[in-house]
Amino acid sequence: MRKQVTAGLLAAAVVLSGCGRSGTATDDKAKNVDTGKASGTITVWAQGSEGEQLGAFAKQFEAANPGVTVNVTPMGMDVAHDKIISAIAGGATPDVSMIGTTWMGELAKTGAVDPTPGNLIDKSRFFPGSWDTVTFDGVAYGVPWYVETRAFYYRTDLAAKAGVKPPATWQETQSFAKAVKDKAGASQGVYQNYTVGSWQELLPLVWQSGGDIVRDGKWTFDTPQMTQALTQFQSFYKAGTAPNKVDEGAFPQNFIKGQAAAFYSGPWMIYALDKDGGAGFADKYDVAPYPKGSAGGTSLMGGGDLVVFKKTKNRAAAWKFVQWLSDPATQAKWFQTVKDLPAVQSAFGDPALKADKRVAVFGETLKTAKTPPPYPTWDQVAHVLETEIQKVALLKESPADAAKTMQTKADGIGTGA
Amino acid sequence: MSTAAATRRGLDRASRRAGPAPRRARGRFMAWVFAAPFLILFLVMYAGPLLAGLGMSFTDLRSTDVRHPLNVNGVGLANYQRLMHDDAMRKAAWNTFFFVATGVPLTIVFGLAAAVALHSGIGRAKTFFRTGYFLPQVTSIIGIAVAWRFLLDPQSGLLNEALGAIGVHGPAWLADERTALPSLVAMATWRGFGFDMVIFLAALQGVPRELYEAADVDGAGTWAKFRRVTLPMLRPALLFTVVYSTIGYMQFLEEPFVMTKGGPLDSTLSASYAIYFQFGAGNYGYAGAAASVLFTVIVALSFVQFRVLRPKHL
Repeated sequence: MRKQVTAGLLAAAVVLSGCGRSGTATDDKAKNVDTGKASGTITVWAQGSEGEQLGAFAKQFEAANPGVTVNVTPMGMDVAHDKIISAIAGGATPDVSMIGTTWMGELAKTGAVDPTPGNLIDKSRFFPGSWDTVTFDGVAYGVPWYVETRAFYYRTDLAAKAGVKPPATWQETQSFAKAVKDKAGASQGVYQNYTVGSWQELLPLVWQSGGDIVRDGKWTFDTPQMTQALTQFQSFYKAGTAPNKVDEGAFPQNFIKGQAAAFYSGPWMIYALDKDGGAGFADKYDVAPYPKGSAGGTSLMGGGDLVVFKKTKNRAAAWKFVQWLSDPATQAKWFQTVKDLPAVQSAFGDPALKADKRVAVFGETLKTAKTPPPYPTWDQVAHVLETEIQKVALLKESPADAAKTMQTKADGIGTGA
Repeated sequence: MSTAAATRRGLDRASRRAGPAPRRARGRFMAWVFAAPFLILFLVMYAGPLLAGLGMSFTDLRSTDVRHPLNVNGVGLANYQRLMHDDAMRKAAWNTFFFVATGVPLTIVFGLAAAVALHSGIGRAKTFFRTGYFLPQVTSIIGIAVAWRFLLDPQSGLLNEALGAIGVHGPAWLADERTALPSLVAMATWRGFGFDMVIFLAALQGVPRELYEAADVDGAGTWAKFRRVTLPMLRPALLFTVVYSTIGYMQFLEEPFVMTKGGPLDSTLSASYAIYFQFGAGNYGYAGAAASVLFTVIVALSFVQFRVLRPKHL
């Protein structure tokens, strides 16, 4: 028995010594794609409500391209990332897949994703921030499909009762929160997320104070701008005008009940609130652009991208389908189907998108919105931020110390690029 | 006569040598054939991944390397050294220890108490209680999480309303670093003791009546009978529940996953959760190292428990 174990370890050692990184980065170059008539079958993976709706939606593409069959595999958002990584490992990737915008660096680095053919996709159509989400190491992989950004949701009835307008600056946000709490009975003031996903609250504040979290391929968290951002974030907890003693899952009921008079989130909340708030709730709230910091009101861009895998047996049809999905007319129709905001700027001129003023606020915000850098380690670094943000929110750490800790831990993780 | 006997003996010896030997070989072969389905499954689905995990813990394998998993660098024990200095991992180890040290005894004590009560006392409602206590075990964790969140809600939860009625201001159970982990221990105990109860109930039915009668003759009271007869007779059941619950609690993941996401401030982050997170983040090498440590600790703990709790006569 012992001999066998030793033999096994030796064998493992031999295998390991045969390893070693060859040190070559991906040297992907975009290749043109045949734009002629497409045919054959393509498999598409998509998540969440997009996955549920895309199958029926793709019938329009099939009708316009006889001979092409699109098979959509819907999957849960929570399992999609692992499924895609497993598929890459097993060489069993679909032709096309929807991916989260922050996954691009990791997927591109595996070398499994096809660079975007320049003869098919025009990058100038997209919001600049959203094109950044498909770019890694100077090469574009895939296209932005839909976008999300964050804005300021507030209760119009409570603001009126407190006699305040939606805040235009950081200072006004502080006075807004105090006013709705003192005069309109909103016991929680302004809700800011400080747990999972809280980095999305922080990044806009950093950009709004003129900073950034990365420069020359290195993390830059220990900066005066980061400290300013965290100080602004913490000021609400210090003043008791943002709740840090509520359970996960208290939101958005606290907004609907009027305990919190405002929060920051993306366009999907419009439809969630209209549904959960009941009849007439749509008249009780509105959406305003991010209050501005010293360097403006830059918001965070997120959403979904589409990629084509190199292993596809039907490259032409796959890219043609992706191109069709990113066509302005299709994008406007897709908005009407699942309420995803178009990644193509001109689609916002469509009557369906112009009709809702709240959507227009997001459309305006998207023009300057930015994304976190597409580094493969972003998830981990984001988790570091979340931990420190929580300490700041619970008043257990000063903004300057938090910025320092973020820097040390992020440097330890690296960018992975 | 003597020749015949010698011949027979010789034949015997010859037949023993020639006859049964191939039969034994064939028997051994057939044994392997019958064992093969299990062995192949075990090697491919269990031992293989286990060794692969151990192997990758000595490399810097990341999710970006999945297409060429052998094209990575060996890093020796660096991943293990990093584990020792990782605040989150240390916190996770402590939380897991706390969870096991409180959860296992609580689950067993409640399970045993419920089993003894059902076995001896409550007559008619037995089935009702037995099913009732076992129900959480077979209920989806999602449903349980929703119910417990209502229960523990700081503003309108049942618990804090009850506390409020007697003038105590209850904390935000799941949002407070001090109460979050104990709350999850309570929830896990509630969820798990029904299983132990069923095991104990079955074991109690196997305790011979004569032992109690003899104890009665000797003048033993209720406590003495429990202490001197019931408990020793339940030793095998105890061993099983202790080992089973410990392994379960060591891999504590569902409760924090659905209730707190490991927060606030990692106060409910468990070892399994931390490993799950590292795998999710694509750090396969590092996660493999952490998983190997957890595996080793569980095996060692189970070994010790088997040693301490094994039936005396073995």
